[in-house]
Amino acid sequence: MRPLILSAFCIIWLAVVPVEARTTVIDDSATLPYNAALSLHWQQLEPRGHVNNLMVGTLQLRVRLNVAPWLKRSGRIYLVLPAQQPGGMTASWTTHGRLLPGHLTAGSRTLVYSGLVTTPFIEDVVQLTLTVDARRMGQAYPVNFRFEMDDD
Amino acid sequence: MFPGRRETDRRPRGADSLVSGILLLALLITSAADAFTITLAGGAPKTIYLQIGVGTFTGTYCGTGCSEIPPIAQSPGSAPGTNTTINTVSVSVAANAVGNGVAQTMTTDSTQSISFFDGFAFCNAPTQLYIGGFYRTPGASGAGTTATVTATVPVSLTDAAGDAIPFTQISWTSGGNGDSGAEPFPASSFTGTSQVVGSIADNQWAESCWTFSYSKTVVPAAGTYTGRVLYTLSAP
Repeated sequence: MRPLILSAFCIIWLAVVPVEARTTVIDDSATLPYNAALSLHWQQLEPRGHVNNLMVGTLQLRVRLNVAPWLKRSGRIYLVLPAQQPGGMTASWTTHGRLLPGHLTAGSRTLVYSGLVTTPFIEDVVQLTLTVDARRMGQAYPVNFRFEMDDD
Repeated sequence: MFPGRRETDRRPRGADSLVSGILLLALLITSAADAFTITLAGGAPKTIYLQIGVGTFTGTYCGTGCSEIPPIAQSPGSAPGTNTTINTVSVSVAANAVGNGVAQTMTTDSTQSISFFDGFAFCNAPTQLYIGGFYRTPGASGAGTTATVTATVPVSLTDAAGDAIPFTQISWTSGGNGDSGAEPFPASSFTGTSQVVGSIADNQWAESCWTFSYSKTVVPAAGTYTGRVLYTLSAP
């Protein structure tokens, strides 16, 4: 009788253990430009109506992700904008189709790819737009992005 | 004693595990450094805009320490733009009213009654003269700063014969249709050769409608008297 109870416990325990995906930073060092400068301009030059104090800038990136370590495996790729100075940032982007378009705020990440990795590199042209609260922009700020892979 | 087969198998496996651990660590460190960077420039240049009656100017310039790329042509302290349109405000005084001390409303040749802010019929031309503008500045250092409008005024209005009427004879009230609260360009009178006639808070639009009056407390010679006032919007 006791062995049967033990077996049942083991089965239940195994069933409730969550399977966590492993997150790894993807080598995106072949992305161009890798250290880009971005000039901002007023999203709304004239402060009409509900005052808009946002500044916006757009640049094009040739994203090249080294996904060779995940070749022939499934995974999900995220674009990450860590929380950092100057804060109050949002990013949005369009793509040529290999990656998903989307948007995110500082301190979050957004899915840009999901599925089987069939090639050692994933490449796309990304039109990235950054929006920043002008009141935080008293100086130049380097803003770091990264791509993360979650293994399935 | 020579190790058995199982022991032989175990020994290199232990060494493999150590090497794998080191490689994994190295890989993680390398991966952590992979992140593309976008350097945000310090901010959009300051921008000012002023509209008085008909005609306008918009200026974009760098303040102190500005590192705009490409560089902005205007240097700090320079005048970024000029409205070449001269709006006229005038009054004709009947001979029997000269010097009677009863203020007489002046009119303008400006046809501008519509607000440049929202298209609202804010002023009533030709009695009122529209004045409005905005001041844009990024960064915490710009918060709380104001752009000011300064009037540069001659001492007198003069006629062809050299007769003069003091500019202090002219004053104005301020207000607009549906307006409430304090005016950004308040009522006043010409009091000197240079005076601040209003201000614009950072990242705001400000507008008023001015109605000028001639106080008629002096008795000048008959003639046509003119004088030009230059309004300058400047930001810190």
